[in-house]
Amino acid sequence: MRYIPSTEEQLKEMLREIGVSSFEELIDSIPKEVRLKGKLDLPAALSEQELEEEIGGIAQKNADFYNLKPLIGAGAYRHLVPEAERALLQREEFWTCYTPYQPELSQGTLQSIFEFQSYISRLTKMEVVVPSIFDCASAAAEGVLMSLRLTHRRKIIVSSLLHPHFKEAIRTYIEPHDIKIVEIPFHEGMTDIEKIKQAVDEDTSAILIQSPNFFGSIENITEISELAHQKKAMLIQVIAEGMSLALLKSPGEMGVDIVVGSTQSFGLDLNFGGPYNAFLATKKEFIRQIPGRIIGETVDRQGRRVFVMTFRAREQDIRREKATSNMCTNHNLNVIASNIYLSLMGTEGLYQCALLNTKNAHYLEEQLLKTGNFEKIYQYPYFNEFLIGYRGDIENLNMTLLEHKFIPPLAIQSFYPDKELENALLFAVTEVFTKDELDKIVRILSK
Amino acid sequence: MKLIFEKSVPGRDGYSLPEDQFPKMNIKDFLPEKYLTKDKKNLSEVSEVDVIRHFTKLSKFNYGVDDGLYPLGSCTMKYNPRINEKMASLTNFTYAHPFSSPDMVQGSLELMYRLDQLLCEINGMNQFTMAPASGAHGELTGILVMRKFFLDRGEKRHKVLIPDSAHGTNPASAAMGGFEVVEIKSNERGTVDLESLSQAMDNETVGLMLTNPNTVGLFDEGIVEIEKIVHGKGGLLYYDGANLNASLGINRPGDAGFDVVHLNLHKTFSTPHGGGGPGAGVIGVKSKLIPYLPTPIVSFDENLKKYFFKDVGPKSIGMVRSFWGNFAVLVKAFTWILSLGPDGLYQCSKTSIINANYVLAKLKEYYKPAYDRYCGHECTLTGREYKKYGIKTLDIAKRLMDYGFHPPTIYFPHFEPYADETIMIEPPESEGKEILDDFIKAMIAISKEAKENPDLLKSAPQRTPIGRTDDVLAVKRPILTYDDELKFKD
Repeated sequence: MRYIPSTEEQLKEMLREIGVSSFEELIDSIPKEVRLKGKLDLPAALSEQELEEEIGGIAQKNADFYNLKPLIGAGAYRHLVPEAERALLQREEFWTCYTPYQPELSQGTLQSIFEFQSYISRLTKMEVVVPSIFDCASAAAEGVLMSLRLTHRRKIIVSSLLHPHFKEAIRTYIEPHDIKIVEIPFHEGMTDIEKIKQAVDEDTSAILIQSPNFFGSIENITEISELAHQKKAMLIQVIAEGMSLALLKSPGEMGVDIVVGSTQSFGLDLNFGGPYNAFLATKKEFIRQIPGRIIGETVDRQGRRVFVMTFRAREQDIRREKATSNMCTNHNLNVIASNIYLSLMGTEGLYQCALLNTKNAHYLEEQLLKTGNFEKIYQYPYFNEFLIGYRGDIENLNMTLLEHKFIPPLAIQSFYPDKELENALLFAVTEVFTKDELDKIVRILSK
Repeated sequence: MKLIFEKSVPGRDGYSLPEDQFPKMNIKDFLPEKYLTKDKKNLSEVSEVDVIRHFTKLSKFNYGVDDGLYPLGSCTMKYNPRINEKMASLTNFTYAHPFSSPDMVQGSLELMYRLDQLLCEINGMNQFTMAPASGAHGELTGILVMRKFFLDRGEKRHKVLIPDSAHGTNPASAAMGGFEVVEIKSNERGTVDLESLSQAMDNETVGLMLTNPNTVGLFDEGIVEIEKIVHGKGGLLYYDGANLNASLGINRPGDAGFDVVHLNLHKTFSTPHGGGGPGAGVIGVKSKLIPYLPTPIVSFDENLKKYFFKDVGPKSIGMVRSFWGNFAVLVKAFTWILSLGPDGLYQCSKTSIINANYVLAKLKEYYKPAYDRYCGHECTLTGREYKKYGIKTLDIAKRLMDYGFHPPTIYFPHFEPYADETIMIEPPESEGKEILDDFIKAMIAISKEAKENPDLLKSAPQRTPIGRTDDVLAVKRPILTYDDELKFKD
């Protein structure tokens, strides 16, 4: 077998050296009652060519996604991924190694994570960055649990414009802990601040606001942060579209206590929803309550600058049931991918890319409105995602877009049954679209 | 080595973007200034060449499975076949948007559906969910499923039993699930003490979380009794699949009575660890627990001949993440299973068990085993004998690096009086006899050095890119970003 080097002869020799006459003797401690009788009922092994045909055949049953440009985002965005990043990720030293428990053999991983932490710190203006939690949903849930540990309060306030999956995951995570969860309705496409004012009280642990929110609108974080802090509650900002960080004011400048952000937009493929990555960034004063792994700088015996996993006394392998989280394996390789991506884009590239997103999205919206087939539902500021009402039949629109190789926008009704959103579509427009393509979209939808 | 920030040159760039076709549009025309960053966020300014060289150099400071033996116990660092990577990188998979209509993703759905069937057969379970992102995430999911099952039956159970040999994630996951953790002692055979278990297992306890073989690498031969005790009190049995590499085609957790299993696809099923993920921690359950799984699961409509996402229903614990699973990882595990078939899977476990016992047999006179009996796919030795020479297990591990090997897992598991100063070695099936012989030779040489020249060990490693690190300083003087370092320099 090509993945198993030792030959039957060698295995026999090893058995002799062990001092047994057969393999059976080694597994004698497994009771007969629980032993598998016969063989596993699985298809016989496939050769490499057969594998390619079999799995290639399954992939063929998907649409030809490479050639379809998505007008849908909703927490998963198609951005350009530089070839240099893809090439570097092929280096086995990055992807065949384990968690960097032995720093002498893992400086590549460790330094790369440290650089990523530095980038995210600069993008968010937060001091402490946990580089990797699985995704934005689990990171938001970890952020909530962290706030509960810090405040010892029993209530959280959640915007209804948090990504529906994030909301669900938060509910799942806190369900065992007897925490009251208050959902704030939206008004004109933004979280209703008046309703937050009424809800926040001395028992509120955290307010969770996604910005840009699920409808794409940019929330008034500074104002909400003041409301939270008046009652000594924490403000958690969730960022599903990481690219927005390049253009928008940093959470750290708006009084946010914990930022949870997806880095899928930083060089990660859509991959049908995973694996992505999310960071959790916060203030230094909260460091002993952060979940997951963090990398710090120190020196080795020769006094050289080196990097290690640090503040480990919070982690599950040391603290067991008293750990701040059960997290062990995270999404490290995607941290390295995003670190490479951010290095390639750099200060100017990331800004220009974000700008292109905003311009493309606003141009498309403006042009669609001009056709008369679309209508504005809410007035709000947005980054690259907007809600728009369609006067025609959504099924037909979907078919037309697909015919021209565009993945249709999200019909928001599937998540928000509100009457006013009956014909609302959530468009995401990134830098992958050219002006010609946007014009084409307008043309085919103006009929 | 320099940080990327220290290679930055003002005005340099490494990006490629299409030309701005709206040069006259001004951002402030559609976004009020109060929402915008005043200055561009300072990242770094380097060219593509700089980036390629920087990360190539960084990569050389890492040690991966392709570089040699990586015998970390409980981590199953096996070879990651290249065909898996190729299959996962097919663009019909990688560019698929998670909210595409089911018609557009019949291939992705089929793969998830068929992987579920394969895993059910391998483990003797009835349904898997592909949602959890890691082993610990799977544990939390499994714990929440068990919790919901009892709530639904109106039973108030608030405790979880966990052996002292368990991975740290087990108690941490149980605590996140709102449970009180009750530790069960291991006996002199290294397995669950049945009497302690009987005493602890009551009708306020949801059940037992168990790894089998356990973290000392020993198969718990009391499994039949354990099953009776736990189920006898109405509890559920949870299987931590971190050590499944000893069981393929030999024994199935489902047949031993386990009700929930989580699998680390990045261990037994050969998907790479990526320096700490992403993996996938899928969980499988018996039929009675299916209604509680996270929603949705993939189903097949026999009439329409189509795959679709099915809502699990009102009893589901809900979602544990966004979207459906770590799909790219699932493709790799699926490819691996198909490439081996039933005989190949059995051969994997058989070989890994022989490998571990071979290492144990050859090294036991030099490093006293925690328990002297045949092991599963990993063996647990100890470095106790060398304390009298002033040598810690850590020194042995560091010295091994000078011999060109990644060290085994050390100081885990830890439970007195049997397992302390532990060295847990897992040589998976992808390691041939010769490399094991080289490793054994190195370990024996180190045992001599420990007695005759302990300074060699204490000063190790010498042949790695860096020496031992000052972990205390890292906490005392926290530098967690490059900007902290700049401040510190001021």
